[in-house]
Amino acid sequence: MVTKHQHEFRKRDLFLTGGLWLISLILPNPHLPYRKEFLKKRDFLYLGVLVLLPMVWPDSLFLMGLAGIYAIVALGLSLFLGYAGQISLGHAAFFGIGAYTTAILTTRYGVTSVGAFWAAAAAAALCAYLIGKPILKLKGYFLALATLGFGEIFLVIVREARDLTGGVSGIFGVPLFSVAGFAFDTYLKQYCLIWGTLIGLVLFAKNLVRSKIGRALLAVAASEDAAASVGINVVQVKLGVFVISAAFAGLAGSLFAGVMSTASPDAFGLGLSVLMVMMVIIGGMGTLYGPIFAAIFLTWLTNALAAYQEYSLPIFGVIILLLLIFFPDGVGTRLNARLIYLISYWGRKQRRERVDT
Amino acid sequence: MSLLAIDSISKSYDGVLALNRVSLAVRQGTIKGLIGSNGAGKTTLFHLISGMESPTAGQISFAGVDITGKAPHEIAVLGVGRTFQTIQIWGTMTVVENILAGMHTRVPGNLLSCGLWLPWIHKGEKAALKEAKGILEFLGLLGRWKWPAMQLSFGQQKMLELGRALAMRPRLLLLDEPAAGLTPAEVKKLSEKVCELKGQGITIVVVEHHQGMVMEIADEVAVLHNGELIADNTPAAVKRDRRVIEAYLTGGGRGA
Repeated sequence: MVTKHQHEFRKRDLFLTGGLWLISLILPNPHLPYRKEFLKKRDFLYLGVLVLLPMVWPDSLFLMGLAGIYAIVALGLSLFLGYAGQISLGHAAFFGIGAYTTAILTTRYGVTSVGAFWAAAAAAALCAYLIGKPILKLKGYFLALATLGFGEIFLVIVREARDLTGGVSGIFGVPLFSVAGFAFDTYLKQYCLIWGTLIGLVLFAKNLVRSKIGRALLAVAASEDAAASVGINVVQVKLGVFVISAAFAGLAGSLFAGVMSTASPDAFGLGLSVLMVMMVIIGGMGTLYGPIFAAIFLTWLTNALAAYQEYSLPIFGVIILLLLIFFPDGVGTRLNARLIYLISYWGRKQRRERVDT
Repeated sequence: MSLLAIDSISKSYDGVLALNRVSLAVRQGTIKGLIGSNGAGKTTLFHLISGMESPTAGQISFAGVDITGKAPHEIAVLGVGRTFQTIQIWGTMTVVENILAGMHTRVPGNLLSCGLWLPWIHKGEKAALKEAKGILEFLGLLGRWKWPAMQLSFGQQKMLELGRALAMRPRLLLLDEPAAGLTPAEVKKLSEKVCELKGQGITIVVVEHHQGMVMEIADEVAVLHNGELIADNTPAAVKRDRRVIEAYLTGGGRGA
């Protein structure tokens, strides 16, 4: 993981990130929400936390930017893994395809950042469509292996096609992301760019989830036979969500190249794919905000533990284990449920409805 | 005219013959009961009709269209709805979402238009929700519409599965043991609903061990025994059929 600014492990950081999860432990479990309504009060609460975080913690801007990029990938993967219940260990490759598309188009062909941004999404989506057609017939472990293989093949191609990708050292000097002459050259501007994109994509994903597509995804995850029995084309649904989640990863890759100014194979390895899957699982399967918070948490954690050098990985592992033990269904699922309870406790209306039914 | 025509269909699993040249016709607007001891091939026949498995030999046609070997979702789109022997509702979704997902093919939208929530998506969702609530009201589940489906009782889950099949507006409904595990009161309610559906013009095939129910609601009863069709007649005639009595009604171990 790229780390420009090493942060000391501070009690205040622990308080900030840990506080929310601690609150979530205290309250009892309410009913599942009905996914029809769009922006609820709790959505504004989540968005508020995200907007306020860099203000109370200004030197986090760079890290939050990076976390935002990973959060975009995790958001897309959440649709594929958390909603449709399919595993992918190759999302770092789509992320890489986005980054390399942007890097090559902007440095070699002088395409604008915005043009490269959309081209990155299209390239990742196209790759996903081509490999998804054959491999999405596989399930479970086999699908995991096939996507893992795709990720490795991508790395080999990137390392070997030196003329195009610069080989092992990668491409340097990618122009900073700019829109119509306005360059995103400070951490604050980059933070706004990344989180603006993320919020846009959250809205898109939320629309998907509350529509017939979201229901089809959950149906395919729960029982493919039952889904087919009501006329849902299981293969088409899986392929569609695979393409969408790859496009999200491609967009994130484009932002990554535009913010970091580089694209090199080290950044897109299996480690990143696994990290993405961890974000979705720790964040909570079948939630959209969970993976975003998990992305922030894991990015921060990796960075904070970097100070401990060789001990960082074991500590990381123990923390992940503890999280999985205490939040087996994901932090986001729990947090979601708790916040719904909290908000509905404040607004008595929702509670009265529940008593009626 | 027969809505569903099964023409000498056979199915074997690794040499074991599950169905042997079974021919069956279901007339439009009737209820066909399908009985037989365990392992007689009833559920296999359902799997073949709904496309979950393809037959070794023979042909199935629905409303004049040959559906042999088609994919399950293609057959469903033609208007064949079904329930499962072991309940296959989507427990993680709410009750109303189960019904709404059943309407999948009738609700407008694709990946892009749903993601952007274009005006017609909103309209479609609203209409679908209204219709879903109507179906839930018909099944007596409206009070639970926001519940996660897995929190419903067994009988309610069965009802929900029936509702999901109804949501796609089927012309032919395949019910695989709808009364299994229900209390007598629930069975009575279910019979009423099924008869009401027949009144709405839906053709129904029902596999059932609960013979009281089958004989009461069915217009015709077919009996399968060891993969062969041994009777296909009115309930009264089937009850008197000697082969049926020997094979199933007394000797099958699960008498009336």
